[in-house]
Amino acid sequence: MLKYILKRLLYFVILIFVMSFLTFMLYNMIPGDPARVEVQSIKNKVPAEVYQQMYQQARQRLGLDDPLLVRYGRWMGNILKGDFGMSSVYKQPVRELIVAPMKNTIFINIFAILISLGIAIPIGIRCAVKQNSLFDNTVQVFTIVGYSLPTFIIALVCIFLFAVKLGWFPVSGMTTPNFQGTAVEAFFDKMYHLALPLFIMTIGSLGGIIRYVRAAMIDALHMDYVKTARAKGLKEKVVIYSHAWRNALLPVITIIIGWFLTIFSGSLVIERMFNLHGMGKFYIDALSNQDYNIAVTVQMFYFVIASLGNIIIDLSYGLVDPRVRVNK
Amino acid sequence: MSKENAKKKKSFFYLLSVKLFGSGKRKLSILEEEQVQSPLRSTIKQFKENKLSMAGLITFLLIFAFVFIGPYFFKQDLAFSETSQINVSPGLNLMDFPKELDGNVKQISVGPIFSVGLSNDGKVYVWGKPKLSKTMDMSKVPMGMGKVVKVAAGYDHVLALDQYGDVWAWGSNRLGQGAIPEEVEKLKNIKDIAAGYQCSLVLTEDGYVYFFGNEATNDFKVKNDYQGQIAKIVTSSDAVLGLTFDGRAVYLGKQKNAYANVPEGMGKVVDIAATASTMAAVNDEGKVFVWGNVSSYGENKVPETDSRIVSIQGGRYHYTALTENGETVAWGANFYKQAQVPDKISDTSIKALFTGFYQNYAVNNDGKILTWGLKGYPLGTDDLGRDILNRLVNGGKMSMTIGAVSVIISTIVGVIIGCLSGFFGGKVDMILQRIVEIISGLPFLPFAMILSALIGNNMTSNQKIFLIMVILGLLQWPTLSRLVRAQVLAEREKEFVTAARSIGVKRMKIVFRHILPNVISVVIVTATLDFATCMLTEATLSYLGFGVPAPQPTWGNMLFGSNNSIVIQNYWWRWVFASIILSICVICINLTGDGLRDAIDPKSRER
Repeated sequence: MLKYILKRLLYFVILIFVMSFLTFMLYNMIPGDPARVEVQSIKNKVPAEVYQQMYQQARQRLGLDDPLLVRYGRWMGNILKGDFGMSSVYKQPVRELIVAPMKNTIFINIFAILISLGIAIPIGIRCAVKQNSLFDNTVQVFTIVGYSLPTFIIALVCIFLFAVKLGWFPVSGMTTPNFQGTAVEAFFDKMYHLALPLFIMTIGSLGGIIRYVRAAMIDALHMDYVKTARAKGLKEKVVIYSHAWRNALLPVITIIIGWFLTIFSGSLVIERMFNLHGMGKFYIDALSNQDYNIAVTVQMFYFVIASLGNIIIDLSYGLVDPRVRVNK
Repeated sequence: MSKENAKKKKSFFYLLSVKLFGSGKRKLSILEEEQVQSPLRSTIKQFKENKLSMAGLITFLLIFAFVFIGPYFFKQDLAFSETSQINVSPGLNLMDFPKELDGNVKQISVGPIFSVGLSNDGKVYVWGKPKLSKTMDMSKVPMGMGKVVKVAAGYDHVLALDQYGDVWAWGSNRLGQGAIPEEVEKLKNIKDIAAGYQCSLVLTEDGYVYFFGNEATNDFKVKNDYQGQIAKIVTSSDAVLGLTFDGRAVYLGKQKNAYANVPEGMGKVVDIAATASTMAAVNDEGKVFVWGNVSSYGENKVPETDSRIVSIQGGRYHYTALTENGETVAWGANFYKQAQVPDKISDTSIKALFTGFYQNYAVNNDGKILTWGLKGYPLGTDDLGRDILNRLVNGGKMSMTIGAVSVIISTIVGVIIGCLSGFFGGKVDMILQRIVEIISGLPFLPFAMILSALIGNNMTSNQKIFLIMVILGLLQWPTLSRLVRAQVLAEREKEFVTAARSIGVKRMKIVFRHILPNVISVVIVTATLDFATCMLTEATLSYLGFGVPAPQPTWGNMLFGSNNSIVIQNYWWRWVFASIILSICVICINLTGDGLRDAIDPKSRER
């Protein structure tokens, strides 16, 4: 088991390096010449020769003429040290800028995941237990619709219905401007603003989770120990929740663990539509403003989170289920 | 005899077949079915029995036919934009004039999407789409007007002249086009009124012209040389043309521009008209002269007529004219069929003609109103005045093409990598699987966005479309390659592979000729489901502004810019229709894919 973990971690490190190299290539594609930007301001103040000399010096100092691998090494070194460069729009280190959107995204996503799991798991179980019933078939159709609809269409419809027509929720934003009140009031104000985005995120992810829970539960219900439990004369409730569900939980829990990592990444579409200052909007804004230091950092971050998620899913299989404990 | 024989024969074979295979009417048990049906046929049968998937497939095929045949009827003009037609709500009622006006019409003046009519008894009617915005409603005709003798519809305001010589204005007053100046209010000898783009003009009996409204966009010289001689005025979208009492067409602006280049030697001019960017005059010999900024629509291509042209009217980019024996002709831009006089109208004798923007009203000798031109937009227009139905059809074609090409790319890559990885195993497998891991570990949407933003930075529209196809294709294949690999791993241990190997078939041939056909069902199902995913991803990318760039429409970028509450509420047609068709299409593809999977692998249905 330990060997497997180490192997996976080694893969992870290699993966990160390959990926960071790809990202660096992307980073290299960014149009513009940092050295020229640096000396641009003095272009008209000094003679052309001096300017050219200073430009060359800047190029040398920034190491723009070094071989690709050397530049990559320097770039990666900076990133590992936690130096992600400066944002060209905000004129602040990316590292400081990234904190606020990260907090918001985590705050939003924890609620979204808890709510959708709370709804999806009971429905999934019920579907599996009453397989091919009217309820099951209806839910199946809804889940297909659910994962077929793009988030932004669900969001448009919800905004139209609940924010514009009925006026229950604000159309966008995270807080009331110039809000003043106690911490509790501020929390409720935030939740009031986040209610619609959370609702949409829940609807959007419901389809996938229900299908997954249902499939896991159906598998579990077909097992022999469930038949044994029934044969013993146990109550159906006990059979379902104590025998079957516990076993169905195993695959579900691994997925949940993986999902918990996505709380950092944020939803691109929802955050943009509702003007929520989270990671997704941060990233889109950076791309639209051509603030590439931010974009590349967030991109790297996304990738690390995704690969970490994959590893944790793989490892947690072994942790939660002794039968599939990896011992290669 | 032969007939009887045939019947007998048939019944014999029928009996034989019943003996052998059962009647076919009776429901077969699963065992028998497997004996007589090839896997493909049983798959098709299974699929047909699944009503939901069949409905999905049929709907998808209908949408497919709609977007691929549609473009032959809805020609796409990417450079098209029309400021006078922006955000028009759906409906075909632009020319639905009120019944009261039929046989009783005195004058009709046409605005961009509304028309104002005047009956012989001095009543004003407004129809079309008079509600230009929440606060601006053209049908709110002011109270207290006397018997109206003249109406003039401008771009977003209406003028009326009543029997007491008072001018009334309603509609937009943002640039003072609706604020009647004191000097005009004092006038008692007003003869004519004209309303243009953000401006209003008043003409008196003694030939003086008064102007109010936006002077910046309209070239009009108040103290022009012709004050006191003007008999008629018309407006283009930014200039004013006058007709003097002695039959000269004169430009009333201060600038030296294309309008000021009034052709010489026109003789005695009897009527004048103007489109958005050209001016026209007709002389007493019936000859039409057109000048100004003549566009490629051909405002100057005056058709031959049997008799003399006596009066002329200008639309947005087309002219209509009436000859002395009541014949109607039209020329110029024809994209809404506004310059194509229907036979019904060209055959009858027309008494009066009223043209403006894209609508034409002809009044015959009985006073009946006949119309042609732009009826309206079945699905409304967007923020650049483009027909949404047209964009939906052409955008659908683009969306589906992008989805299809990306799926083809991803399927080819996925199948090749999956087959090689599964069949050869060992080091090849190890390396390929690491690549698969990297690609599938990429956060899809953000990565596609950064690629599109960085690589597509200075690309043309078409290159960017290809880029999107390739990005989607190259990021989509890992799932398929994993499935194919698993299948190939199972298949390669079977006897037929060993047999093929033993007779010396090359390894590559074994993989792609012997094994691949056995795993094709997985490929088909995954490709179908991937098609839906690709369309969704393309839509999301375009919606976020990182996909196909404007003006090329796709279902996704038609929704771009519709995420503010004003658009969502007031211009609902700009997002509702694209959303509906995109959703239906993706749902149908997913239903079809699910149905296919169930049909190919009945076991999956139990899950």
